[in-house]
Amino acid sequence: MSHQERPLKISKQLRQRANEFLSCKKNRRCLEDILHHFGSGADQHSCLLALESVFTSLIKEKDMYIEVVALKPLERTPENLHKRWLRQLYDDTYNKILHCFENPSPKIQAQALTTAMNIIAAEGKHPLDNTILNKYVPLTKLKAVLNKMLSSSQNNTHLINKFTEYLLYNDILFYTWTLLPSLTPKYNPCEVYISNFLTLLGKLDIYQNGEMKLLCGDDNNPFVTFDENKTKKYLNKVWHCVMHWEHTHQNQQAMLLVLLEKVMSHLEKPLLLTDFLMDSLDVPGPISLLALQGILILIQGHNLDYPGIFEKLYSMFEPEIFHTKYKSRLFFLADTFLSSTHLPENLVAAFAKRLARLALIAPSEDVIIICNFIGNLILRHPGLKCLLNNPDTATYTSDPYIMEERDPVKSNAINSSLWEIRTLQQHVQPSVAIAAQFINSPLPSVEWDVSRLISKTGDDIFDRELKKFSKLILLHFEKPQDAEKHERVIQYWHL
Amino acid sequence: MAKVKNKKRSSSDKVHAKKEKLNTKKSLNPFEVHINKEKIRVVGQKRKNDRGLPGVSRGKAIEKRKRTLLQEYKIQNKSNQFMDKRIGERNGKLSEDDKVMARFTAVRIKAHNKKSIYNLADDEVLTHKGQTLSEIEKFDDPRSDDEDSFEGNSGKLDKDFVEEAHFGGGVLRNTGREGATSHKDLINQLIAESKKRKAEKQQIKEETLELTEKLDTEWKDLIPLVNTNKSNDEEMPKQKMDDYDKIMRELRFEARGTVSDRLKTEDEIAKEEKEKLEQLEKERLERMKGIFTDENSKPTHRSADDLDDGIFYEEITDDNCMLSYNKEGEANMQIDAQLNGKEIKIDNEKDDKEDEDENGNESSSDEDMETESEDSFADLKEESSESEEEVDGDAQDPEKVIEINDELTDPKEPSNDGSENKTPTTTERQQNIPPRDLQDKIKQDLLKRKELMEQARNELPFTFSLPDTYESLLKLLENQPSHHQGIIIERMIKCNHASLAEGNKENLGLLFAYLLQYINDLFSEATKDTIKSSCDILKSLLPQIFELAHLHKENAHNSVLEVIKEKYEDYRKKKKLHPGAELLMFFRLISLLFTTSDLRHQVVTPSFVFMEQILLKCPPRDRGKLSYGFFITTLVLQYTSLSKRYSPAAICYLSGILHMAIPKSGVKLIKVLPPFKSTSSDLVLIGNHSLDLCKDLKMDTTDLFSTCYDDEFKIRIFHNAVKALSEFNENLETLPSCVEIFEPVLKYLEMIPLQNYPVIVQTVAQDLILRLQKQKENRQLRKIVREAEKPKALRLYEPKIIEIYDTKRHKMQSKEKAEQSKLLHKLRQEKKGALREIRRDKEFLGRVKIHRRIRSDKERRNKVNRIFAEAAMQQHELSAMDRKKKRKK
Repeated sequence: MSHQERPLKISKQLRQRANEFLSCKKNRRCLEDILHHFGSGADQHSCLLALESVFTSLIKEKDMYIEVVALKPLERTPENLHKRWLRQLYDDTYNKILHCFENPSPKIQAQALTTAMNIIAAEGKHPLDNTILNKYVPLTKLKAVLNKMLSSSQNNTHLINKFTEYLLYNDILFYTWTLLPSLTPKYNPCEVYISNFLTLLGKLDIYQNGEMKLLCGDDNNPFVTFDENKTKKYLNKVWHCVMHWEHTHQNQQAMLLVLLEKVMSHLEKPLLLTDFLMDSLDVPGPISLLALQGILILIQGHNLDYPGIFEKLYSMFEPEIFHTKYKSRLFFLADTFLSSTHLPENLVAAFAKRLARLALIAPSEDVIIICNFIGNLILRHPGLKCLLNNPDTATYTSDPYIMEERDPVKSNAINSSLWEIRTLQQHVQPSVAIAAQFINSPLPSVEWDVSRLISKTGDDIFDRELKKFSKLILLHFEKPQDAEKHERVIQYWHL
Repeated sequence: MAKVKNKKRSSSDKVHAKKEKLNTKKSLNPFEVHINKEKIRVVGQKRKNDRGLPGVSRGKAIEKRKRTLLQEYKIQNKSNQFMDKRIGERNGKLSEDDKVMARFTAVRIKAHNKKSIYNLADDEVLTHKGQTLSEIEKFDDPRSDDEDSFEGNSGKLDKDFVEEAHFGGGVLRNTGREGATSHKDLINQLIAESKKRKAEKQQIKEETLELTEKLDTEWKDLIPLVNTNKSNDEEMPKQKMDDYDKIMRELRFEARGTVSDRLKTEDEIAKEEKEKLEQLEKERLERMKGIFTDENSKPTHRSADDLDDGIFYEEITDDNCMLSYNKEGEANMQIDAQLNGKEIKIDNEKDDKEDEDENGNESSSDEDMETESEDSFADLKEESSESEEEVDGDAQDPEKVIEINDELTDPKEPSNDGSENKTPTTTERQQNIPPRDLQDKIKQDLLKRKELMEQARNELPFTFSLPDTYESLLKLLENQPSHHQGIIIERMIKCNHASLAEGNKENLGLLFAYLLQYINDLFSEATKDTIKSSCDILKSLLPQIFELAHLHKENAHNSVLEVIKEKYEDYRKKKKLHPGAELLMFFRLISLLFTTSDLRHQVVTPSFVFMEQILLKCPPRDRGKLSYGFFITTLVLQYTSLSKRYSPAAICYLSGILHMAIPKSGVKLIKVLPPFKSTSSDLVLIGNHSLDLCKDLKMDTTDLFSTCYDDEFKIRIFHNAVKALSEFNENLETLPSCVEIFEPVLKYLEMIPLQNYPVIVQTVAQDLILRLQKQKENRQLRKIVREAEKPKALRLYEPKIIEIYDTKRHKMQSKEKAEQSKLLHKLRQEKKGALREIRRDKEFLGRVKIHRRIRSDKERRNKVNRIFAEAAMQQHELSAMDRKKKRKK
């Protein structure tokens, strides 16, 4: 009980102190008390709130405003001295607030960020001296914030997520872009830094936000002109450095994601990425998949010629793929790559056959996709119909298709037949069994819509099965005592 | 009210008048008839409007307008009108007298208007047989009417008297009689006589009344005497009864089957049962195949007379020898049934022996040995003996007695007691008859259980009411041993059978839900120590749950589905966590309650999805989790044992278990599918156990709650996984990709050092390896050929017959659209008609107006003329007077 009351009391006290100080500016003791408490490391949250209220109101009331006249030293009036003291204190405190970013508690970190940004907003609206125009963004302070956020010692993902709230303001977004090249090191920074940096880069938008909101200054007369060409230039500059860093697998994956989602379309010379993407292709798992998507963009938009691409794609269809998050992306990519009707038939047949093999061990939802996908492949390449309907009456002792062959063209798939699909007609899931029935009847004239299925999960199948309503209620007609004799569970378990 | 009536009458009068008019007008004026020319003559067509009477119909229309439109026109722009509402005034048919009558009745009716309907004695005096009601009411004991009427002298003057007094007399008669009294005397005599008679009648009435009352009181005194006599006389005549009486009574009270459902012989019952089961099995197989083989099931042969109505004759199989059963329920011949392509043989001898065994052990408890196929009289006897016992034990139990009676009247109904019932035909369905020793073991187990049941039967009370809350059920079952719990529920169901009372069905449904909840609680809280007893309880509850499910199918279905849904919702939140052990038991329950072989089943299919999710997503972190997964694979095996369907997740899981038993060298990575890790080698046997004698290789429920792997467990799970895999392999043998499916299994098996395992396990594994290798070598693949499409037969057998033929061509439309267009057509027609009517109305009104105008003009002209004439006359007189004056002057 007392433990809970104490912080409450202290926060009250701190607020009281802040109010006291604001009512009588000469009362240095109050402010020093707060600062002292802040320095002690306890009750950071309420201290931050108190300091924020103190300094924002100080800035608003121009208590730290110093009129600078050119070529004239500042008069040493007690008023000026007080102001100077306050300025000194203000800068110190600001640094201390930024120090809170390293606090272990994420709540305090977030509060520190809010406080810092609020102070920046206040200062932007009410500048501290007349050397600058009356409205500006205090760049040094913003840079300090960014610097702290892009820490090389801890992962600041949540802080950066919090920072995205401020990126909705056009001025902050623009100046972040402006500051970013100077914050990008030329040589290999540490791993955590890269991950922070990539997270931030993933959040930054090239274009300005629709509603013209400004953090510093009012919305009516914008002092910032958001130049999209400039931001693009900054992006290119930044990316140039980023590409040359050394990345761990994890960071490489994050980087590829940022590249595909944000950066790729704004790069001046995307073909420069080819080497990087080729290297990434050789890394197994999702990285190669992402790189493949990058290469797809290059092939489509920038006339890149990459001969071995189908082998790469072929090699990605491994049993493990169904247990990764990126399987839908792979299906999407495969669909795009194989959408051409001018591919050699044995190549496409190899894909169809491999997918069919994988379907034998895939989860139900994927089997449905694969069945429809194979159907689409056969629709696009009528020559593949021999996989479904081959009047050859010879009997084989083994499947002519060679699963282990890396090269799809040599896998001899075209001489095989889709026995796997016939097997899948005996799948326990009725939805799968029905999807596999497509080989029994002539193919439709329109392709199956695979994109609709790609995001389906096992949960969806469960829900759909529940909705399938039939009035028929079918019970076992054998009594449990009789059934016991051939109940399998009994044969394996002591029950 | 009166008004309405008048109107009605007048309208009916009109109709009447019209009819008369029509009758008179039958003879048509040939000059009025207009014959419509017909362009095309269609034979046999009946035409409605081949001739018309334009003049007549026009006249009719004008008449009608005069009656309706003209009247309206006349009162147009007038706020009130004068109407003669005197009754019959506007009806020319009524004579003056009729009018008066009608008006009088109207007045009388008015007297009975709503206000006065209950004031009976207001202005009228009601009478009954000439006496006012108030007079009648004075009698405090009014006798009914028929009492009077049945009596000979009704207080009225008799026939002779009336004849003489009223109609007699006359000159002739009078003279014939001596001492004839005067008329006045006669009247006096008459009055006296009638008074006397009345008095007599009154007296007789009173006497009878008195007598009946006396009798009543005496009867009441006698009642207790009569009753005691009744109870006594049951025994008394018994001694006196001679043989004849006895036989006669026996014959009278013998149980007789009604004509409609005669008692069936044992053969028939057995046959029926068999047919029923065969039918069910056939349906099950059809459902299993789902929609695939719909076309195949159609008869291949098709005659030219085939109407394509789906009727076809099944081939009549040569079934001369009838299957029958003797008293012990054995068939008189060996049954070679074909099921799913497998031959099933039931050895008579074996059954014989078993039955003997049973007889030996169970001679004390006779009733359990009775089989369904036995003589129904025996069944009756058995039931009645049981009932006697029960009545002895618990005599004041009306419900029970009723229930027994119920069974008595319906001997063919399969007895509800699951444990007593072993239908001989179900044994036919046994596919995999377990090896002899195993069967014996099961038998012994069963016997043991039966003994326990017997004990429980005697210890527990005979009736239980249905619990109204879950808590009360818990209280009832609390601290009872497992077999008692089964008995309790069994008795609960019997005492509250749905046929006994309204609402019992719902309550039993509720009981089903409570039992599910009970199982849920039982297993979700189970630990390593309690799991055994929980399993026992479940085992004893299973027959009852099955029974309940059959009593209320919808409810069972819905509640189980609800449970699965709820469990899945919980699981969905944390996909990597294994749900509790209760889920396994629910899955097992589903496999026992529902037909798992259907292609799609409302409960089973979601369960399949659920199991697949668990197998794919939940990593087997320790022994308990691994056993959990293995339990599910055995469930999958059970679910698919009949349908032979393929579940990739189950086989992947089993091969994952094998993978865990491979010693990893560390250099080469052996791939395995998630949720297994390619590095885990928890099941690798380290020591050599080849000499161990493992007696018990079955999995144990306690495995579900243990965490660490020990060698014994490793051997057991390996053995069971291999066994399950070979069973899966057996099921999936016919699939074309069977080799591919089991390829990883073979690969893993070959990498496992089998020599470390006990001999039994080794042989099982070796068998599987050999089997898989053989399959791989002897594989025969034929390329897929799509079935050639059947050529469409020309269907020229019969002419196309359309029931109603009209020359119009009907568009092929949907029903709604056809309706719509029909309505539209009708609307158009009506609109046309209405417009024509309006036009004619206007013409009519125009005519009326012009007539009025002409008439008023004429009138005015006449008036003017008259005025002129008068004025001229006046002028003439004036001028005449003037002339006279002039002359005078």
